[in-house]
Amino acid sequence: MKKYFFFFLLLSFPVNAQNLLEQLNYANKLYKSEKYYDAITEYKRLIFFDTSKTFSYICNFNIGKCYKAGGKLDDAIKYFSLAEVSSNNSAEKYRAKIEIVKTNLLRGTPERALQILNDIENSTEFSQNLDSLNYWRGWTFIFSDDWEKAKFYFNKFQPYHELAIISQNIIKEKYSVTFAKVISYILPGAGQIYTGHIFSGLISFGYNLLFGYLTAKSFSEDRIFDGVVIGSLLWLRFYRGNIQNAEKFVVEKNISISNRVLNYLQNEYRGDKP
Amino acid sequence: MLKFFLNKRFVFIVTIFSFCNSFAQSFENTNIFSPINRLKFGNYLYAEKDYLRALEEFREYLKAENNDTVRFKFADCFLRIGRYEEAAENFKSMFFNSSLEEEAKLQFFRANFLMSLNSSSDFYSFRELTEKEIYFSDKYSQHLKRLKFISHLFDNSILPDTNEFFSAFDDSNYTMIKKFYLMKKYPHYKSQTTAGLLSAFLPGLGKIYTGEITDGITAFAATGILAFLAVNNFNHHHNFRGWLFTGISVLTYAGNIYGSIASAQIYNAKIKFNFRNEIKLYFEQRDFLLPQINFLEK
Repeated sequence: MKKYFFFFLLLSFPVNAQNLLEQLNYANKLYKSEKYYDAITEYKRLIFFDTSKTFSYICNFNIGKCYKAGGKLDDAIKYFSLAEVSSNNSAEKYRAKIEIVKTNLLRGTPERALQILNDIENSTEFSQNLDSLNYWRGWTFIFSDDWEKAKFYFNKFQPYHELAIISQNIIKEKYSVTFAKVISYILPGAGQIYTGHIFSGLISFGYNLLFGYLTAKSFSEDRIFDGVVIGSLLWLRFYRGNIQNAEKFVVEKNISISNRVLNYLQNEYRGDKP
Repeated sequence: MLKFFLNKRFVFIVTIFSFCNSFAQSFENTNIFSPINRLKFGNYLYAEKDYLRALEEFREYLKAENNDTVRFKFADCFLRIGRYEEAAENFKSMFFNSSLEEEAKLQFFRANFLMSLNSSSDFYSFRELTEKEIYFSDKYSQHLKRLKFISHLFDNSILPDTNEFFSAFDDSNYTMIKKFYLMKKYPHYKSQTTAGLLSAFLPGLGKIYTGEITDGITAFAATGILAFLAVNNFNHHHNFRGWLFTGISVLTYAGNIYGSIASAQIYNAKIKFNFRNEIKLYFEQRDFLLPQINFLEK
């Protein structure tokens, strides 16, 4: 009789912990097979039934990662923040914070990322983990399109780090807006040629030469009205246009260089990235 | 008899029965995919406003159990995520043999109203539904009548009579409703013909009429200068330049008339767009003056 009693007693006990562990494995499996929507549902289910909050950190963290993978970056930040709140130790908290930094970079809010990195540095809680802060600062400046500072922080993280070398190359490759504008003031079309738009530069030079000549000719022949009209409506318009074009081309070129590198970093770079 | 109840075998059977029962209940509680747990989780998601996931949980629950509240919430999830057609269909299925029939009718009309508001520019089909007797709701008849009147403000239908229209609204909304009604009935449009004629009479005047003062002055100055240059060149026997400036000034003059007509069109479109946005915002903020369904918030 006794043995039957214990047998039933054993069966009637809730198997909650075991169930929850199975649920976590199931959700992880969905996450690994990139079924992010379903994975989020199962992590949320686990959070709901996990009354002791044992799996709270891992679930919130992974929900954040699912949202991040799905491009829902605001939601991702919300769940990484929940993970941070439910973290069990400073290492987990640090991991959640770094994910928030990375998601902020992808969201296009590098200022907020930098602020969080500064907060981490100023906090006494994370004193053992500061090495990688400069690495993420470097990334923050990449996303701010400030390659000088990016290079500085990557070098600080590790001298001659691959990303520091890439940043250095970008600095060399990028065009100067000031230089392009100054040479366009001196010689119309030169700024455009400097950015590789040779045909556009030559056309610009030709227009300025022609209308400059016509303006000068009108004034020399005492046709003041003609001189003023050609000078203001044609020559000055093309002269100003040449400077504006030079600036526009430099900006476009620089964006294209940055995008090319970001594309490379996204697809080819094997190190840790946002 | 007493002997029988004290019998070992009897005690054993009762013990097994009670353990089996408690085991079944325990299994139900610990199996997180059981219908009851699906419902609990669905309610949690619903409260969290994660309606897309909540409706899946409710769907699974409804496969095992039939419950009016859950069916209602299931339909409401569709409504909240903007799947109005599915929402309307699910609310419609509750029109008979349901304790929430009246609420379902209210939500059915809400779904149809929102469908018209978000997908098309007219509310004819919505208003047709409100006329059908089988869909009539006793409890919410006033609200639905009001919703029907609101729909007139959003499309190009003929507005109902003022007495009938205003009587459907509370005093608290009266001032704004009256304002919207008058704006709809007498929109402050600018006449395209007047704009064109004014610009033909005096270049730029049509633009000034439509509120484009700077453009109007520019058009006047440009046409004036070009006309002066044409006359001046003819006077000085520069015939080529005279004809050149005449051509340009005629083009500018014609362009100024065309521009004024276009400006009146743009002005009118802007008035219409702003009006629609203003009433949409006003009624959205007040949930289209429809009552809240209390059990949904619990």
